[in-house]
Parts: sequence; C-alpha cells; structure tokens
Amino acid sequence: MWAYIFRRLVYNVPVYLGIILFVMAALRVNDPIWTYLGKHATQEQYDQFAKASGLDKPFLRQYFDFLSDVVRLDFTVESWDQPGIQVGKMIRAAIVPSLALTIPALGITSFLAICVGLISAYFRGRWMDQLLVFIAVLGMSVSFLVYIILGQYFGAFWLKQHLGMDLFAISGYPSGGLTMATWAYYCLLPILISVIVALGYDTRYYRAVMVEESNRDYITTARAKGASGPKILFVHMLKNAMIPIITRIMITLPFLITGSILLEMYFNIPGMGRRLILAINAKDFPVIQAFTAIFAALFIVTNILTDVLYAIFDPRVRLQ
Amino acid sequence: MLMTTTVKRHLRGAAVALTAVFLLLTFVLPRAHGRTQIEPDSGERPLKVLQLPMRTDGPKSLDPVRGSTVYDNRAASMVYDTLVQYKYLIRPPRLEPSLLAEMPTLSEDGLTYHFVLKPGITFHDDPCFPGGKGREVVAWDVFYSWKRMADQNNQPKSWWLFDNTIVGFNRYREVQNAAEVFDYDAPVEGFKVLNDYEFTVTLTRPIQRFLWVLAMFQTAVVPREAAEKYGTRFGRHPVGTGAFTMAEDDWVAGQKMIFYKNPGYREEFYPLEHMPEDEKLGLHLAAGTRVPIADRVEFTMFVQDQPMWLQFRSRKIGYTQIPSEYFPKAFLRRRQQLKRSFREEGIVAHAIPLLDFIFRGFNMKDPLLGGYTDKQRWIRQAIHLAMDHYEFNDTFYNGLNYVYDGPIPPGLDGFPPDGLSPNSLQGPDLERARKLMKEAGHPNGEGLPVIEYYLGRGGNSAEQAEMMQRQLAKIGIELNVHLVDFSTLIEAVNNGKAPLFSFAWGSDYPDAENNLALFYGPNEAPGANHFNYKNPEYDALYERIQVMPPGPARTVIYEQMREIVIRDAPYIGSMARTRFYLVNPWLKNFKPSEDFYNWVKYLDVDDSKR
Repeated sequence: MWAYIFRRLVYNVPVYLGIILFVMAALRVNDPIWTYLGKHATQEQYDQFAKASGLDKPFLRQYFDFLSDVVRLDFTVESWDQPGIQVGKMIRAAIVPSLALTIPALGITSFLAICVGLISAYFRGRWMDQLLVFIAVLGMSVSFLVYIILGQYFGAFWLKQHLGMDLFAISGYPSGGLTMATWAYYCLLPILISVIVALGYDTRYYRAVMVEESNRDYITTARAKGASGPKILFVHMLKNAMIPIITRIMITLPFLITGSILLEMYFNIPGMGRRLILAINAKDFPVIQAFTAIFAALFIVTNILTDVLYAIFDPRVRLQ
Repeated sequence: MLMTTTVKRHLRGAAVALTAVFLLLTFVLPRAHGRTQIEPDSGERPLKVLQLPMRTDGPKSLDPVRGSTVYDNRAASMVYDTLVQYKYLIRPPRLEPSLLAEMPTLSEDGLTYHFVLKPGITFHDDPCFPGGKGREVVAWDVFYSWKRMADQNNQPKSWWLFDNTIVGFNRYREVQNAAEVFDYDAPVEGFKVLNDYEFTVTLTRPIQRFLWVLAMFQTAVVPREAAEKYGTRFGRHPVGTGAFTMAEDDWVAGQKMIFYKNPGYREEFYPLEHMPEDEKLGLHLAAGTRVPIADRVEFTMFVQDQPMWLQFRSRKIGYTQIPSEYFPKAFLRRRQQLKRSFREEGIVAHAIPLLDFIFRGFNMKDPLLGGYTDKQRWIRQAIHLAMDHYEFNDTFYNGLNYVYDGPIPPGLDGFPPDGLSPNSLQGPDLERARKLMKEAGHPNGEGLPVIEYYLGRGGNSAEQAEMMQRQLAKIGIELNVHLVDFSTLIEAVNNGKAPLFSFAWGSDYPDAENNLALFYGPNEAPGANHFNYKNPEYDALYERIQVMPPGPARTVIYEQMREIVIRDAPYIGSMARTRFYLVNPWLKNFKPSEDFYNWVKYLDVDDSKR
C-alpha cells in the first residue's frame, strides 16, 4: 500500500507543478501590483512595490521561488492587504474556525443522510419514502442564503427578543479559544443551516445508492438464509454501499478546509472561506496564491486517500 | 415483509438518541457559554465596555502613513493623536489643540507656522522604550513622523497631503529615496526645531488647508523607536499617544479589534462647548468628565448588513448606520422621521449630511457647451433648469439625498440657507429653460447637435442616464450616452473629450475651500478642476481665501464664489448623501461625525439600559 501511495504521489507531482504554473500565470495576466495599488498609483510606487514583493524578477524565478516556499511549507511572506501578518499565520488562524463548522456539519449530514437513505430505500415506493424524498427536495430547493437570513433572524434574534432564549449568536466567533459551550453558541446555528441544506442532496444520493444495493442478488441470498432485517441493512447493505459513500465523503473533504464562504461571511466566522473571499476582494495576491497551492495539494492528497480507503473497505479493490 | 419489530426498535432507538443529542446541542450547550461578563477592575465599579460596529472587514494597517481609508482612520484615531483635533460637538467643524498647548500661530506672510507642544505627553508604554516606559513626546517626533510619509519604503499612501507644501520637503523626499539608506536625520529646510516643545514649519505658499491636514490621522505622531523596532509589524503593533492602546493579539483581522483605556493619557476633558441642539439629547451633561470614559472598546467588523442590524436591535452594539434596505423599517420614509416604536425604546436617530458634491460637469473648453458668452451660459443654465434632481433623488436614493445649490456641501461655511441660492437654477423649470434655449438661438433644441454624455458604468448609471435623456428631451436636447469604466471616464474628462460628464467629489476636509478649489483656473484638468473653468474674478477670490482664517469675512467670499459658479453653470447639481445613524439608549454622549473619528474617547455607557 505504501508503495502505491508513494507512486501516486510521484505521478501527481507534474500535475501539481502544472497547476501551480497555471495559477501563477493566470494571477499575473492582469498585473497584480497595478490591480492592488489602484489607478492613482505612480510608476515610482509600482517599482518600489514590485521590488519589495519580488514581482520584479523573471517569471520562472518567481515560479521556482514559490515552489521552494511550498515544498518547505514556508508561508512567511506577508499579506498585502494586512501588512505585518504572514500568510502562514493567517491560514493557521483560519483553519480551526472552518473546521469547527465543517467537520460537525459533514459528520451530522452524512450520518443523517445515510440513515434517511437507508430508511427511504427500505420503504421504497411507499408513503414514508415519498415523504422523505419530498422533504429532501424541498430542503434543497430553497436557497442557502434564505436559510441563513431566516436562521439568523428567527434562530438567533427572534428567539432572544420574543422568548428570551439567547441560544445562538447572531454572528461572531469567540476571540479566545473554543470551548464546547462557545462552540455551540457561535457555531451550532450555522452548522444546523448547513446540515439542512446538504441533507437534501445527500439523502437523495444515498437513497439511490441503497435502492441499487437492495436489488442485488446478495440481499436476496441473505434473506433466503434468514438474516435479520438489521443485519441485512447495517451489515450487508451498508458495507457494500461503502464505495459510493466514501467517494461522496472524500469529495467533500477538501471543502472542510476551504470552509463555507457564505456561512463564514454572514456569521462573521474568521475561517478559510471568509479569508479567501476577503483576500480576493482586496486583491491580496500572496494570500490568493498560497491558498490556491494549498487547495490543489489537498485535492490531490484526498484523491489518493480515497483510493486507499476503497481498498480498505472493499477487498475486491487492489492497489496496484 | 422485511420491516421487523427489531428494525423498528433500532430505528426508534436511533431517533431517540438523535433527538437527545439535538436537544443537548441546541438548548443546553449554547446556554452554558455564559454571557459577556463585565468584570470590575478593582472591585469598585464595573468596567465600562463599549461594543461598536465597523461596517467593513476592518482596517488594513494602523501605521498612520500606510492608512488611507475611513476604517484605517477610525482605528488609528484610537491609538494616535494629531497636533490638532476637531471640536467634538461643534458644527460646522472647528479645530482645537490636541498635542499642542495652543493653536499654532501664523506669520504675517502666511508662510510660517509656530507650534508649541504640551509638555508631559508620553507615548504608550511599550518594550520598544528603555524599561518599557513610554517616553515624552518632543518636537523631533513630529518631524520624524512626517518624514515617514516621504519614505517609499513605508509604502505611504498620503504623500499628497504634503506634496509641494513645505519648503524643501519635496527635495528631501527625492534625495533620500534615491539614496541607499533613507536618512531621517537629514534636514528639511522648512522644518525647524526650536527646543523640545517648540518648532516651526515654513510653507511653500500660503495654504489654508494645512491646519486641516494636521488634524488628519496620517499626520499623527509616532515614536521612532517603535517604527524601527517593529518594521512592517508596526501597522499591527501601534504605539502612540492616543486615548486607547491595542495589543497585536487584540486584533483578529476581518473580525474584531479590542482597545483598552490608556492609563497614561494626557489630561483632557469632555468639552463644555456645544451646539444648542445638543442639550435636547443631553450631550452637554458630561462636560468636564475626564476622557477617555470607556475602559474597553470592542469593534466588530460587519461585511454583511443583516448581522449588524440584528446585533443593533439586540442592543449588543451601541449604534448602527442604517443600511438603505432597513430604512423603511425604522423611519417613516416621506417625513424621514424615526418610527414611534423605535422612539419608545429610547433609540435616537441622527442624520449626518455627508460632504458630497454629486454633479454633472461641462467641459468649459468645449466649443458647444463651454465658453463664457451669454448664449453659451444660457444653454448650460437651460440644461440645469430642465433637470429634476428631486426625481433622481426619489427614484435612485430613496429620497434620502440632499439637493442643494452650488458646490459647497451642507454643513460647511458658505452653504446656502436651506440649500437654496438667490440665483438658484434648481429645476424642473421648463418654461424658464425653454426661454433660455430660445434666447440662445436654439428654440426647442433646434440646431443644437447631440450632446455626448460620459458617465461611469455600474450601479444604476444606465437608468440614471435614461432619466436624464428623458428630462432633457423636454426642452429638445438630445444626449448620446457613453457608459464607460471609471479609468476611461477620467481619461475622457482629462483629455477634454467629454463635453458633459458625471462625477462626484467627497471633501478631503471640512472646509469649503476644498470644493471651491475645483473651479480654480490653475487646477484645470488633469488637476481637480475637471471643468477647465477659468474666471479671473473667481481665481482672485480663491487666492484671497487661501490666506484667510475661518470667519465671517471669509464666509462672505465663499458665498460670492458660490454665486459666480452658479451663474456661469460649469456644472449641473448638486446632491449630497445623508447618512442615518441609530443609537441604542445604553450608548451615551454619541454625536456621530464622519469628518473625524477620535470621538470614541468621549463615549460613555449606561449598562442599566442594555
């Protein structure tokens, strides 16, 4: 397995180099310095800034310098928009708030969606199945933004104003460390909103997977052998459905780090998504470049990890 | 049937467990987070903590020379002081000494200012000083701070404030930036230190705005020790003389900033001097109280408006600017009056006219629309009279803008009473407009070519242009609209390609001189006089006001100049935005201003009204 992982990593090196090359070139199509300094900047200011940021060097030199930084995980370059803050520090500070939202959201959504998918598949075609599918479609038909606006208004503001229940923060994030209580106060409402939105998509997907599995011959065989209902559901069916489940969850993994842009923006949570959007708005070139390199690496690692997990969960899959 | 009793039992168990987890997460844990506890400092009184909003993702740097935005200003004004400051309660704005012992005196030729610093003012305690104890501010600190604006290594954004202003300063900038090392000890001809507390500054020419510049946060005084020790981090590790201090960890970029009362702040008191209307709001009651009053100030950044509005309505933040979509919730739109339910809650509204000059300009060099003959003037006046600014205001700005005559925005000396000049050209007055067109030789627009009209793309520009086309068509004038990028618009205006264009000007400082400079001949495009307006009478008056101190005599000249440009009509206008603030009852002493931002030191809190 380790040989396979190593081989896949090596195969992906050119892919990664290509992504970095493409991104770096794309970010320079419109001169990032002029874009950042604005139209009133003088040539003198431009030259000074180009020298200070290293963008006066030839492109290939910049490319290899940046690759060297990435390989050494050296993100000590300073943000343009927030002078005095290193990009690495910015990323480290943003990861935890993002994960505080995305990991519970993914966990709860996946768990609920798989359960509902199983139940729905179990009652396929009957009123229970139809009701669950209807709710799922309804949930995913409403815009994320509507959930956020209504959630903030009713879940945080209205409850406090009218019932005196200060359950959730309207927005914000604790400036000290996260405790279980502050996490619940600041993060639970956005997590619940995220779960409601994602549940519809995931439920439909897992239902389809479970329905397909329930038609397989091994289910009939298990029934014929007298296996109990729970055993068929949770041992045979669930285990065989693991490949699509893993695929679905693994696809989501990089987004745990990238965070949820809308939730973080509206709930003022200083996570990766918010940081990236603010950097894009502020034309903060070093931050955008570093984020892109990190996200690309995350996607590649996740892909490899997915293959490994396939082999772990399904003995028919061989890592070669 | 596969659904056995066992399955049902399992599913029921799972449902119960899920419900229990949900209830725990929803009702128990969030309640355990504990509300913000306001701890007493010495057990005698609770700390006074202010929670205030910042409608942005926050400032970028607290280094005064790097700052340029309103938000940089707001944050830097907490920790730094300037030589002079705005009188908190006085409108139109007036200056008073801040770091100075008294207002500077000006030599008879209007060129040399003499300054005296208050003795005993110290910088914040910081490890950059020996023993960590902030040292006293001396005259050299002022010049050091200003020289930092000339040093390109600091990436200064405000050099324009001093450009061609002080004798020898431009030359110093050129020489030092060309040198290997920027020498802060090298002399500048116009800077003279007389002793630790006294110094003089000699200007290249009489410049009225100079004193206003000294109230701007970019010219705040910083210690050399801190700037050199912290380098680029200085922008996040401010060391000043201001009413509050801030540690690096107290600034979570894009989210929150926390400031603490500076225990060593100089002796300053809440002002006695106030406007008559302040008494109705009780703004005069704190007179004589030592400032800063609050112990801690927490700024929360809001990129989205809904959270800010809901936090305000939950009384978690002291005040809010009113986002336009929330205006009808709080105000009766037509009367612009705060709704009764809000008033009953003790919420107070403030309307702040911004120093805006929103206009359409003519290129006075244009053979068709420019010129100073009666006929040329009549065409411009007719266009002015045909325009209905109130319709623009109602349609595009919810009726919240202020329509006024002349280039001087509301709140400044020289602004006409109720915004109406004796020679007003405010429309729509189609009868008079048609008459002028006829006298100009173009009855119903006959013989007048299509006018090329340039305006910036974006927002509702296209719709505004359509409305203008419709309004001018009533007197037979046809417009050809060019919706262009802002850079193209600037270029078209500067090159004289745009005979009619749409622009706006926000005053750099609260003195009408700043707006009147827009029509001063020598400032023609690419300078700020985008109209290329040249009138010797006007220019002579402008040169006079440059050396006049504020006062009735200068205001009379402002009014004369205002009437000259209204008569010549090199522009069509004007409008200014109005910013509405709502203040929660627990926030005391708040009189909003967008001209300056060091007012947080005057704010108080009444926790019983939270």
